[in-house]
Amino acid sequence: MATTQFDQIYHGLSTEVGKFRVAPSGMAWKGADSEGVVAMSSTDIKWAQWIRVARNFQLRVGMRDHRKEKFDGFLREDHDKLSSLLKNHFGITLEAREVSFKGWNWGVTDFQGEDLAFMVQDKVAFELPLRHVANSNIAGRTEVSLEFANPSTGRAKGLGDEMMEIRFHVPGTQKSKATGSDA
Amino acid sequence: ASGPREGKTWKRFQSFKGEAALPPEVDRLRIHVDRKAQTVILPIHGFAVPFHINTIKNVSKNDEGDFTYLRINFQTPGQLTGKKDDTPFEDPDATFIRSVSYRSPDSHRFDNISKQITELKKEANKREQQKKEMAD
Repeated sequence: MATTQFDQIYHGLSTEVGKFRVAPSGMAWKGADSEGVVAMSSTDIKWAQWIRVARNFQLRVGMRDHRKEKFDGFLREDHDKLSSLLKNHFGITLEAREVSFKGWNWGVTDFQGEDLAFMVQDKVAFELPLRHVANSNIAGRTEVSLEFANPSTGRAKGLGDEMMEIRFHVPGTQKSKATGSDA
Repeated sequence: ASGPREGKTWKRFQSFKGEAALPPEVDRLRIHVDRKAQTVILPIHGFAVPFHINTIKNVSKNDEGDFTYLRINFQTPGQLTGKKDDTPFEDPDATFIRSVSYRSPDSHRFDNISKQITELKKEANKREQQKKEMAD
């Protein structure tokens, strides 16, 4: 069976675009400039999710060893094609996750694996990867702040705005929402 | 729609009905002000996260070294605003985002964004004021 290719796909939060290929043997992303490759073999692929992010849609792939890879830049129209490829090649269902666009600043925090998800009416508003948290702080009784490490050096031109810190107001006194670990 | 009641009534608002309504500019992973939707869209770890102007309290900006920092402060319960009636909350026991801070080497852009948000907030306050006057 032939390989299917998707263009203009990003790996993780990188600004480098690349090609994403799906074949019966597995899937792989290859960067256009760096030639860096992210490969996932068919026997390792466990699950896949489809989720709206800033750069259109994200394909999120879960591996048997709990590794998780994210690829941004898929178009809405790619969904059906991708869904049937995943089904036919790897026997997995592309699960769509719903995202909140309500514009509210209140919700519920939920630890999901390595991420802290902020949920608004049972839909995800955003996720914070906990391994990017450089420092966390409890200020007063109801405030928790998370500071982020910035891997970028600010030289890349197409770089987005860097989030440095987020502060939560947690009215409930019984539960401390501080992250268990810090880097 | 619930009938208008004065005072501490929670007024429901929302930025977008669905993902298709997000402006295309969000793919640059930069803060974007959508005047039509009365919304500021923040890039948070790859997500484009809308915040309706009603949730925003103010913005502050400062320059430090090679970077400009922008901090967006949100309305949360327990703040000493002096006008309690204007800040009712649907669920005061929820977790609230109180502030988010960004940095950029482009001071001019952050200056511009800061002005846009302040302007949007002013307009929203003005409309709110007019509505109140009409109701009287």
